[in-house]
Amino acid sequence: MGIGVEVLIFSWKNNWEHLGAGGKGHIMSKLTRYLVLLLISKVLKALGIFESYDILKVVHIVQFIFILKLGSAVILLFFQKPFSSGKVISKRQWIKLLKHAVISCIISLLGFFGLTLCGPLRTLLLFEHSDVVVIALLSVLFTNSGGGPSKTRGAAFFIIAVICLLLFDNDDLMAKMAEHPEGHHDSALTHFLYTAIAFLGVADHKGGVVLLVVSLCLKVGFHTASRKLSVEIGGAKRLYALDNLVSAMVLLPWVMVLSATTESKVESWSSLILPFGMIVFSVMILEFYVESICSAKMETPRCARYGTISLFLSALLLANFWTHPLTDQLRSMSKPPQQDSTEHVLSGGVLVSAIFFIMSSSILSSPSKKGQKGTLVGYSPEGTPLYNFMGDALQHTSQSLPRFIKDSLKQILEEYDSRQIFYFLCLNLAFTFVELFYGVWTNSLGLISDGFHMLFDCSALVLGLFAALMTRWKATRIFSYGYGRVEILSGFINGLFLMVIAFFVFVESITRLVDPPNINTDMLTPVSVGGLLVNLVGICAFSHAHSHGGKSCSSHDHGHSHHGHSHSEHSHGGHGHSHGGHGHGGHGGHGGHGGHGHSHGSGGGGMNANMRGVFLHVLADTLGSVGVIISTILIRQFGWLIADPICSLFIATLIFLSVIPLLKDACEVLLLRTPPEHEKDLNSALEKIEKIEGVLSYRDPHFWRHSASVIAGTIHLQIMSDVVEQRIIQQVTAILKDAGVNNLSVQVEKEAYFQHMSGLSTGFQEVLAMTQQMESMKYLKDGTCIM
Amino acid sequence: MFFFFFFRRDQKQIAFTVAGTIHPFRKTHRSIFGKLLQEFRLVASDRRSWRILLFGALNLLCTGCLLMWCSSTNSMALTAYTYLTIFDLFSLITCLISSWVTMKKPSQLYSFGFERLEVLSVFASTVLVQLGALFILKESVERFMEQPEVHTGRLLVGTFVALFFNLLTLLSVRNKPFAYVSEAASSSWLQEHVADLSRSLCGIIPGLSSVLLPRMNPFVLINMAGALSLCITYMLIEINNYNAVDTASAVAIALMTFGTMYPMSVYSGKVLLQTTPSHVIGQLDKLLREVSTLDGVLEVRNEHFWTVGFGSLAGSAHVRIRRDANEQLVLAHVTNRLLPLVSTLTVQIFKDDWTRPLLSGALPSSNPSSFTSSSVPPGAVEGYAGLSSSFSSSSVPAHLTSAGGDLDPLTSTPSKLTSPPPEFSFNTPGRNVQPVVLPAPPHHAHRPYGVGAGAGMRFGLGAAGAPSSQSYRTALGGSTAPLVKVITSSSFTKSPL
Repeated sequence: MGIGVEVLIFSWKNNWEHLGAGGKGHIMSKLTRYLVLLLISKVLKALGIFESYDILKVVHIVQFIFILKLGSAVILLFFQKPFSSGKVISKRQWIKLLKHAVISCIISLLGFFGLTLCGPLRTLLLFEHSDVVVIALLSVLFTNSGGGPSKTRGAAFFIIAVICLLLFDNDDLMAKMAEHPEGHHDSALTHFLYTAIAFLGVADHKGGVVLLVVSLCLKVGFHTASRKLSVEIGGAKRLYALDNLVSAMVLLPWVMVLSATTESKVESWSSLILPFGMIVFSVMILEFYVESICSAKMETPRCARYGTISLFLSALLLANFWTHPLTDQLRSMSKPPQQDSTEHVLSGGVLVSAIFFIMSSSILSSPSKKGQKGTLVGYSPEGTPLYNFMGDALQHTSQSLPRFIKDSLKQILEEYDSRQIFYFLCLNLAFTFVELFYGVWTNSLGLISDGFHMLFDCSALVLGLFAALMTRWKATRIFSYGYGRVEILSGFINGLFLMVIAFFVFVESITRLVDPPNINTDMLTPVSVGGLLVNLVGICAFSHAHSHGGKSCSSHDHGHSHHGHSHSEHSHGGHGHSHGGHGHGGHGGHGGHGGHGHSHGSGGGGMNANMRGVFLHVLADTLGSVGVIISTILIRQFGWLIADPICSLFIATLIFLSVIPLLKDACEVLLLRTPPEHEKDLNSALEKIEKIEGVLSYRDPHFWRHSASVIAGTIHLQIMSDVVEQRIIQQVTAILKDAGVNNLSVQVEKEAYFQHMSGLSTGFQEVLAMTQQMESMKYLKDGTCIM
Repeated sequence: MFFFFFFRRDQKQIAFTVAGTIHPFRKTHRSIFGKLLQEFRLVASDRRSWRILLFGALNLLCTGCLLMWCSSTNSMALTAYTYLTIFDLFSLITCLISSWVTMKKPSQLYSFGFERLEVLSVFASTVLVQLGALFILKESVERFMEQPEVHTGRLLVGTFVALFFNLLTLLSVRNKPFAYVSEAASSSWLQEHVADLSRSLCGIIPGLSSVLLPRMNPFVLINMAGALSLCITYMLIEINNYNAVDTASAVAIALMTFGTMYPMSVYSGKVLLQTTPSHVIGQLDKLLREVSTLDGVLEVRNEHFWTVGFGSLAGSAHVRIRRDANEQLVLAHVTNRLLPLVSTLTVQIFKDDWTRPLLSGALPSSNPSSFTSSSVPPGAVEGYAGLSSSFSSSSVPAHLTSAGGDLDPLTSTPSKLTSPPPEFSFNTPGRNVQPVVLPAPPHHAHRPYGVGAGAGMRFGLGAAGAPSSQSYRTALGGSTAPLVKVITSSSFTKSPL
């Protein structure tokens, strides 16, 4: 429809103002009560998490969770009475409840396992974000309607905080743990998780950070998904109670098996009753109730913000004092002092990341300003503003991702060029990933860096693919000639890319020339041979595409083939050929395969700049691997370390020289030069036009190549007064069409036109210009009259 | 080697232009350096370009030092920052090119002049810097695998030298093309974030609003931000020996470079792609709607409007008119409407079925000619009067008399003003695509369009009179002031006869 739905909004600002006028003080005092409650519950929760970290050192994680669930289930059964009140739960709902409980068990397992890995402070920082914050973060990251720069900043802060924890957190105990990841593990489950983390190739504590982030996302998704079930069951509280009960029952067999098979490290369970009671109360019960009350009484974002901030701050404080000697003394009344009191201490990285987490959660949980994006339409009779929401606020329909991929794949495979690029890209990527994985497997840095280098090169291919795809898009209002010119621009960018690569290779080789380093040639040869093979396949494919493109081009320009071709070979093709020959000679000497391709390439005229760019890229890669092979052989046989820089110097020069013709051609097209291969035709056509009967003269002839298939032109003709304009237009169009111009506009002017114009125009300068044009026309007319 | 890079680039940029302008690579292979030197002298003859050259030399020196420090400190972040200095070098070259462009006239081969060279060089410099940033990203990923030691000795010195030189270059050289692009392009994410932050800051301290609220110069912004992140890097490495910060801040600088340069390269790339600039579309639509409501105009199609350099618009359009309309008059009016906005304009007027003889032959075309050649009276004021009368007379009464009896049934569909143009509508791109997508080579314009004789042709007799005379009168009514000029012009036309 395109008509935005008009939405009346009694602006909430007004609302607030009314409230403020009425009973702000009252509301604030009421809110403060809840806020204090929230703060206390969060502090207690942090305390509970710290306590449970200590307990987890002695109690097995599954037993721990079982006790938590069971304890909270007992208390909740007492408070909520889920069986005696509310609807009867059907069998299907029980099954759903079972699934729910299993998933919640898994999530709490992951969370507490992360706690054992990272320590309480880091767990609190990573895991205890409210749903609002995480959903805002995900919407910024994965949709493009994030909600303005502030949300983006919040997301960036979040990511920086996580990275800080990952990189700059020198946790001594974690480093110690990372040294013996295969040490003693309590159970099969923890062992499995440990091996999974070790398989990923990261240290344990970093693995814990990643694990916690993943389980945070899982938790949020789980909460969102369980909303429907909670409505079905009859309230979130009832669901929570039942869920705890069912989870405890689910965990029961496992706990039985565990306690039967392994011996417990716990000396006396009775001394643990008090801590467990405290944890159950603070982590499971109190926090849940306070959260639900606060989110009912205050807005959720505000609740989330204050809750998170207080939680993080109290966690920081506790982390500072938990292992403090004073605390140890306090605790030693009930427990013997612990030996390793320096575990998971505060470090600079954690502090910075905590600050970033607090900032990001306060930014992300602040109410989005999106609602105000509607345009103000006017005011209602009552005086409240009316907003009109258009487009993205309401009609947000996005294409599903699989469908989009399917469509674009289909489009890619439709045409020859893009298909070729796509296949080669796939081959290249496959090779790259094999290389990368093998590099990670064997821990060889050279292989990994070469893999990244290949990825870097693949970006040029992606660019070419995208340009080949875009070229076929339909013309729009903005791109009135169609998207054909994208191809030329992409060829230009690819040319610049190659120049940059040549430059870096050049600089690198110069520094190596000064100081040739020792090169380990073991791994180099198979990799470069593999790369060479891949690139040779590419060269074969693209040289074919190249000649193909050339053929289609020549068949397209059939009408003027003779003149155009001889000319192009004469003036312009010769130049390109000399350079091309140079590059090809360098390559043919080594590889002996590219000769076929290149002769075709430069012979066909190569109008398709995009394919030329891609081809040159592949050629440069081939040259690189050939150079590596040669230098390896030289170093191995003769020990010439200098061979490597000289080879790369040579390659850099070759790349540079082979790119120049491409850049020159692309520049000419982009600068709207008269196409060189049509130059002669156009000149003769203009002569012919002058000789048409009734044509006095022409001015402003502009002819330029718009894209590979479109040559556009505009021309202004002055004709005698008694000639029919349309006939002249027809003749001129026919003549210029023969000369290759297929998008033409002819403006036919008679003397009357200039008189009308001078009558219409208002400025003195314009009138003067018109008069002068008319003068010249008169003069020409006289001239022709004389003739 | 750095000198080589500069030189090569300079040579590349100028070599194209030089070789293109004088003789496009035909026989001038041997004297390419001579040409280069000649063009260089041309540029150097201007006093203003001396300043640019001086700054360029300074910049080269600075870049050389910085690159040396980069390799001695082994810092990726400083390398990323040095690329910004190299970008300044490119912008100075762009500045030189733009001053060269202003001296050059359009040649036969480059018929639109060399203004696009400015655009091209802006595009090339932004893209080159982005490619450099891409390279930095790749290197940084490799460094994350194995972080080498970073020496902080020259890090801070290098940062401040680079910052000082960059700001000096930015603020003391008036760089026309980059100033234009940074104004016209959409704001980068860096700018948006700074604007957002400063807006909230101004909420706290209102006094800063005059400093913080205007749009920041993106180059100054990225230089400051890069220097800030380098300072943080220095501190963290000095205090805690976190070498990975260096890589992280290199990534940050590279991302900021992307963010700053991307909108500019999109803007200049769109100019290079010959697209209609989106900010003039509204204005153009208005003008084209006006044109399509002119008397005699049936539709406007194949309209292409694009920018030649930064700012000046060029365009062409095909205007289909009624068979009995006066081509030159319509052309003059269409041109008059569009010319203030589109400086290089070509309008092709075409009629359907113009070969058919029933339209009383050459009457529309001969009528103004008779007026221009013979009926201009010697008196100048009368000439103007004749002009104005011919506007109304040529379109309306002539056809009333000539198209006479047999066309009477067809005269009832004239009203262009009440109904929208039939096949042309600007606000619906879906419909508008169709006429443009048609490969529509101009000769297609001559195919018989209206199938039935009456359906396609609309002869405005009754209603055409009123709007046409009205519109023309308004057009002329405004031109009472230049009456004298018209007098001079018509007297000029008179004199050779």
